[in-house]
Amino acid sequence: MNKFKKITLDGLIFQNPTFMLVLGTCPTLGLISSAFSSMGMGLTVLVILTLSNVIISLLRKVIPDAVRIPCYIVIIATLVTFARMFLDKFVPELYESLGGFLALIVVNCIILGRAEAFANKHTVVESAVDGIANGLGFTLALTVMGIICEFLGKGSLFGYQIMNFSIDMLAKPAGAFLVYGICIAVFVYVIDCFERARRVKVNKLARENLLKEAV
Amino acid sequence: MTAKQFFKSNVFKCIIALLCVLLVSGVFLTLMNALMHVSDEERLDRAINKIYGKSVNKTAVAVADYNSNAIIEDAYHITDDGNYLIKSTGKGGFDNGTITCWVVVEVKGGAITGIGKVVVDSNKGQTQMAELKDSFFNKFSTGYYEGIYYTTNDGFVVSNSTKSSAAVCNAVNGALDFVLAQPGISGGAVDIYTEFDYIDNIETKLSSHVIDEQTGSVIFTVVSKGYGNPSNFTSEITVSTAGIITNFEIKVNGSTNDGYGATVESNVQKFVGKDLAGIKALLNVGEEYPVYPNENFGDMVSGATESTYTAYTAALFAVANYNKVLTAETPGEGEENE
Repeated sequence: MNKFKKITLDGLIFQNPTFMLVLGTCPTLGLISSAFSSMGMGLTVLVILTLSNVIISLLRKVIPDAVRIPCYIVIIATLVTFARMFLDKFVPELYESLGGFLALIVVNCIILGRAEAFANKHTVVESAVDGIANGLGFTLALTVMGIICEFLGKGSLFGYQIMNFSIDMLAKPAGAFLVYGICIAVFVYVIDCFERARRVKVNKLARENLLKEAV
Repeated sequence: MTAKQFFKSNVFKCIIALLCVLLVSGVFLTLMNALMHVSDEERLDRAINKIYGKSVNKTAVAVADYNSNAIIEDAYHITDDGNYLIKSTGKGGFDNGTITCWVVVEVKGGAITGIGKVVVDSNKGQTQMAELKDSFFNKFSTGYYEGIYYTTNDGFVVSNSTKSSAAVCNAVNGALDFVLAQPGISGGAVDIYTEFDYIDNIETKLSSHVIDEQTGSVIFTVVSKGYGNPSNFTSEITVSTAGIITNFEIKVNGSTNDGYGATVESNVQKFVGKDLAGIKALLNVGEEYPVYPNENFGDMVSGATESTYTAYTAALFAVANYNKVLTAETPGEGEENE
């Protein structure tokens, strides 16, 4: 059980693909001007990542090492094409708002990265959990930044106008870059604080144990 | 390597693995495509739903090319309300790109009464579409005057997205023109320039003028047809009562890139201060309409020749006709054609 907890926490927080590993930057910067697009992109990546992890994990013993990367790319491209067809058919608004970034998921580092670094070496269930955790981590990061950028850049949230004041620049990729940087800084700072607190706690316990042993 | 060795080798396994993955992917996508294919009819219904918020009864109208600035892709007569729904592709966007719009042309009693809605369907190569906000598209509905075409001048030019906004205007103009050409439809722009000189390269229905009450100068807003590669130019030209161009400002620059655009902006300043004779001298124009190229165009030939020529024809039109405007009996109470 601890294994799955670790995989989940890694994907969501400690190895968050957006804030900690800085992967998938292209759609992040291109889409976070709208919370709807960001969340849509995040969820699409979540589904594709989970499916690709599962399929690659299933085939890890069948696919020869020499051609694993081309095979992964074909699998990911197939899933992305399927996602495009699905969205075009059933969620055309999201399909339109994601535009070219939808096709670019094929070359999203997160998906190929997790396939190569995790799914290739782990069981199907573990890979599925990893896919969901990383996908959720990516989705949450994009959605949070999308909300910030849309609120400050357009004065709206998920398309609903909240206020008239807006800072136009934040609704553009340049503003997104700024928000992205600030979010990374805040996220790393918070994680660092927790890590430090945890280390202090561990050291304290170790010291107490040593004292007990000495007594 | 023998055949047996090859079939046992890793290379063969790699080929088979790759082929299997490709085959399964291909079959899967073929099946999914059959299941999830979005037909043209479905796309049309989506577009109509986006515009009307519901399904409507419609009949297809045969389409034909409109003019050099727009292509009519699809046209439907909405039988529920008598309006026309036109899918029009406007040219002259950024980097020679296009914007395809759905345009609802409202018709009542056989006359065009306005633009119901303009919705972008797709675009080619436009990077500043986000600058075209709802307020821009709403202007087509709120700023419509009966029987008049839209012009691509003030109010319909969006800063930072000049070319894209011009392409949308072209699409709307194309839709309007197409509907006007339909049997039994009236309400087209009044062409007050039919008897004017040097109109061959001028979009007369899209051009207009006003007389400055204080100075008596004639301020033309001239849409000149793009010559060669450039798109239409819209220029505001002020001609004094003495027949001299006192101001030449390009409102919509149809040049194919910013470099040519900047050159023509500079070139047109050479028209300022010239009267008809001075303008004619630039191309050695006789009674005939000027034909480019002409060696007399001097230093304006290099750099942005076609764009400069397009702007030149506007200057020639303005300076040759200012007196007709001033002496005209009734060119229209408001003199404006927009």
